Amino acid sequence: MNINTPIEEREFKIVGKSVKRDDVLEKVTGEAEYTGDVKLAGMLHGKIKRAAIAHARIKSIDVSKALAYPGVKAVLTHENVPRVLHYGSPHPRSASCTKDQYILDDKVRFWGEGVAAVAAISEEIADEALDLIEVEYEALPAVFEPEDAALPGAPLIHDVGPGGNLVLDPVRVNRGDVEAGFAQADFILEGTFSGGRPHPAYMEPNVCIADWDGSNKLTFWTSTQTSFMVRGILAEVLGLPLTKVRVLVDHMGGGFGAKQDCFQHEFLCALLAKETRRPVKMEFTRHETFVAGRARHPCKVWLKQGFKNDGTLVARDMKLVYDSGAYGSHGPGVTIVGTTAATSLYRCENVRLEGRCVYTNTPINGAFRGYGVVQSYYALDIQMDEAAERLGMDPADLKLKNVVRAGDIAPSGHPIVGHGLEICLQHGIDVLDWKSLRNRDRTPDPKRPHIRKGWGIGCEMHGSSAYPGIKEQGNATVKVNEDGTVTLLTGAAGLGTGAHTALAQIVAEELGVRFEDVGVIHGDTDVVPWDIGAFASHTTYLVGTAAKMAATKVRASVLERAAMKLQVKADELDLSEGKIFVTAEPGRFMSVAEAMGPSRGIPAANIVANGTYEPTKSYSFAAHFTEVHVDTETGIVEVKRVVPVHDIGRVIHPIAAQGQIEGGIQQGIGHTLTEDYVIDKKTGRSLNAGLVDYKMPLSMDMPDIETIILEAAPDPGGPWGAKGVGEDPIIAIGPSIANAIYDAIGVRFHHYPITPEDILKALREKGA
Amino acid sequence: MKRIVELTINGEPRDMTVETCCSLLDALRDDVGLTGTKKGCDVGDCGACTVIVDGQPVNACLMLAVEAEGCTVETVEGLQPGVDTLHPLQDAFMRHGASQCGFCTPGILMMAKKLLDDNPRPTDEDIRFGLSGNICRCTGYTKIFDAIKSAALEMEAARS
Amino acid sequence: MRRFDYHGAETLEQASRLLTDLGDDTFLFNGGTDLLVEIRERLRRVRNVVDIKGIPGLSDITYDETRGLTFGALVTVGRLERLALVRERYPNLRDALASLGSIQVRNRATVVGNVCRASPSADTIPPLIADGAFIHIYSRTNMRVVPLAEFFTGPGKTVLAKGEIVTGITVPPAGDNSGKAYIKHGRRKAMELSTVGVAVSLSMDDGVCSDIRIALGAVGATVLRAPAAEAILRGTRLDAATVKSAADKAMEECTPISNVRASADYRRDMVGVLTGRAITQALEASA
Repeated sequence: MNINTPIEEREFKIVGKSVKRDDVLEKVTGEAEYTGDVKLAGMLHGKIKRAAIAHARIKSIDVSKALAYPGVKAVLTHENVPRVLHYGSPHPRSASCTKDQYILDDKVRFWGEGVAAVAAISEEIADEALDLIEVEYEALPAVFEPEDAALPGAPLIHDVGPGGNLVLDPVRVNRGDVEAGFAQADFILEGTFSGGRPHPAYMEPNVCIADWDGSNKLTFWTSTQTSFMVRGILAEVLGLPLTKVRVLVDHMGGGFGAKQDCFQHEFLCALLAKETRRPVKMEFTRHETFVAGRARHPCKVWLKQGFKNDGTLVARDMKLVYDSGAYGSHGPGVTIVGTTAATSLYRCENVRLEGRCVYTNTPINGAFRGYGVVQSYYALDIQMDEAAERLGMDPADLKLKNVVRAGDIAPSGHPIVGHGLEICLQHGIDVLDWKSLRNRDRTPDPKRPHIRKGWGIGCEMHGSSAYPGIKEQGNATVKVNEDGTVTLLTGAAGLGTGAHTALAQIVAEELGVRFEDVGVIHGDTDVVPWDIGAFASHTTYLVGTAAKMAATKVRASVLERAAMKLQVKADELDLSEGKIFVTAEPGRFMSVAEAMGPSRGIPAANIVANGTYEPTKSYSFAAHFTEVHVDTETGIVEVKRVVPVHDIGRVIHPIAAQGQIEGGIQQGIGHTLTEDYVIDKKTGRSLNAGLVDYKMPLSMDMPDIETIILEAAPDPGGPWGAKGVGEDPIIAIGPSIANAIYDAIGVRFHHYPITPEDILKALREKGA
Repeated sequence: MKRIVELTINGEPRDMTVETCCSLLDALRDDVGLTGTKKGCDVGDCGACTVIVDGQPVNACLMLAVEAEGCTVETVEGLQPGVDTLHPLQDAFMRHGASQCGFCTPGILMMAKKLLDDNPRPTDEDIRFGLSGNICRCTGYTKIFDAIKSAALEMEAARS
Repeated sequence: MRRFDYHGAETLEQASRLLTDLGDDTFLFNGGTDLLVEIRERLRRVRNVVDIKGIPGLSDITYDETRGLTFGALVTVGRLERLALVRERYPNLRDALASLGSIQVRNRATVVGNVCRASPSADTIPPLIADGAFIHIYSRTNMRVVPLAEFFTGPGKTVLAKGEIVTGITVPPAGDNSGKAYIKHGRRKAMELSTVGVAVSLSMDDGVCSDIRIALGAVGATVLRAPAAEAILRGTRLDAATVKSAADKAMEECTPISNVRASADYRRDMVGVLTGRAITQALEASA
């Protein structure tokens, strides 16, 4: 599909309606099968022995006692697993990955890394056997902060890569002439910003089951967003053709990006099953989802921007350092995406950016909703508020003046389509009566003078698809059955977003059948077309377009078939709501079932078509308007109200789209105020790997959210102009909260999470 | 050490043969085969395993199976009033988009059922308080609140 | 999870014997909401648990005007929380109960269990200490009653000897013109372990504070009383300046530590803020 193709306008029958999601019926009855619900005859349970040291060489490892323990069937260590260097992040088709992992190594690079694995007849026995594995370590000096890891002479964590503990060569982006820009500036703002280590904390702990059959074929159930990537990487590392690895995933309990890696336990589970010739299940404890999962990259940002007195931005100089943790995982992609994102959002012709990603001896950071951009836009958006203050302007006005517009070059290198961000911002300003809001009393309750109110705005834009980092491909197969029903085969994972429903809506709309007549088959790599995985806010955009393309093809075939039966030409026919009729004579019609079915001398039709779509990228936009209350005695910040205004192009399923936005806001409030996965900077040990001390906002903490979705800037790259929405909300909410806190108490924070202690300390410093 | 536990699950008398250290959650999932109840943390922090025991919601992970001897246990699988009918909460959760990944849904449904059984006209605060032991990481809770309010109204209308 | 053996006791004596005879790594099992977590998270090595829930007579709740409220070891947090009597006469305890864990946890966890776990951050302990509660202890040789304030010897440690079992707690009745408050401080509004918890119970006599007890949670090795702060307040009209100086004194009296939940300095600051707020709230309730 050409990006210049005009967006087709039509009266929609199914698209744009919040149809009932089929998958939710199973979820509310308890019948939905998640990986952990699968039980196979003779299934063993696997457990991983984890290192209680952050950086060490394994001198010896003795598994004899564990092997002798009743009920234990196999023990794996670095001495008896294949030594294959692999990509932990399964995107070998892209440039943005680093081969730096072994299934098990003779070296430990973070506290909690697996050093051995046990399979036993019960989970308890496997767990008990872990204590019987004796590991002798030679401790190595460890580094826990990127600054320390980047120092000359710092202990090297890997032999591979560009050296100096860099995961990849620094990412540099230069546009215009930054020095000339600063020379024109009336004033310059410079600041450092930093972000903590939020964790996706999906509800379903990672889990997989491996089963080998007599023909040496591996069937692998796993909770993954990227089943074909898992298939590919397992096949590569285990030395198998793709026909011998089948990956299955039906329902999954969230992922938010982090379930895109191929994890250590997945390789170990496959190998334990191979060794024992029995199915093996491996399920993380909640603690393991933290230590062995993937968090957002902690980041340090240095940002210097030059402004004219009229608010024009004339120069942007930015350096970002992302903490990769002990392995590369998505570090390269996050660094590239997060750094290049800073070319945009607010217009600036002279830009110089440098992004680095550094190994440390801490748990692995990976892909997580907002992929590097959360960090860079937090800095950009807060500094924009600071500039507004310096100028004596309302930040809304300064942002309106500078937001990117149609034709500006997006981070992907393409011209932006439409004025999405401007429209979102203006819409929020209007519906909230922002100007009068800014004039309200910040201490409205005289009985509680310690409670201060404030309002803030955060802006963001985010791409649907991982282009240009990955040239993506979306695939769909659509079959029309002889009773007129339609089957869509897709490799896109159902991680809870409602993507399959949206895809079915697109097929039904394009084909002209009822939504109820479309069934979706997914989650089996032996059956469905190849899929890159569900990430980068791209499923509706990428796979949606592929599904639409396949539906267009089968529609034509169905019409040809009906034309034969109705004795007319296909182009004289139309198809709507499952009925094929002669356009000029609506009285002459037949159902799709009649067209497809057999009749005397004519067998039933077999109509199948594939759609393959290789897009570039579209951008979605949002402005979040947030009200906070700050208790100036305790430092507690409460987010009271959020009005998120999003442009996501054509909305396929409004309720599902709202749900993405509201869920992203919950996560973003957490990241900004309460969530931080804390690693002890002396030992590398996790200090809060559990759901009590890793504090996600819960039902009583959530504000009222009044979601507004605008179809302001449809993109021709998506089905009828549809764009992504998954990641956008988590990016805008953070700076809106930080800016609201400033509005309430007059103190700037350049980091997240902003804790009550930070608030009190800053208030004291301000008062002093 | 194994023991036979006799109890009533979703209205049916059942017995389960369990290790005495086995949780009610593992017994329901692995021995009885009722996998609708989910294990999100196994330490009482997330509420995904909420079931109703003798009329009170509990985390099935924090109860031993042997402690359920003689108890009446309700799980999400028992929520449907009939084979082809849904509990108003189930229907409302579908309509309002209250379930995304669905992993927290069974626990939240059981908690919401108990809430509406005790308090047919809950305020917003009642609903927020009632769900405060159930983590949802997908929805931001907004749609869940909507669904529970909607179900409460429908149940009220059906009674009158 | 590592395996353990389960023993159901039918009498206190049997439970006591099992606890002494089964050897180390044997623990009393009541609500289980802490013990099972400690087992699963490998925080405690457990080989045997002795369940006391089959012992008759430990589920009673009684109240009379002279003795006050007495509840048995098996009484769950949720059951007490839902009791109108507790809501009306022990609002501090009620607020503490309603803030402990989640509804689901409260339906299993027992108040006695929360107390015996002896965590400095346990929610139920500060209001019970502020109210002058007593704890009833069974042993095979003699029964004893201990003021709750003297029950704790350190984090996770109590005066209980091996084989001793707490059978219940008595909370004295609230006098006329008394006021009570419990304020828990955490980052969220639910599912929190207290960063600081402050309980205040006071009595007013013609506008003058005749008695006051302040108990501070999560700022010491055990829940602490703040005697010097209390002394400042007794006999005064609890005007703002006096309350402020008492709150400052309470900050001096606490001995907090730093951990992932909060720094010692912040905890100390919160003792000041919350002591002031709790006194004010209790004073308003006494009117």
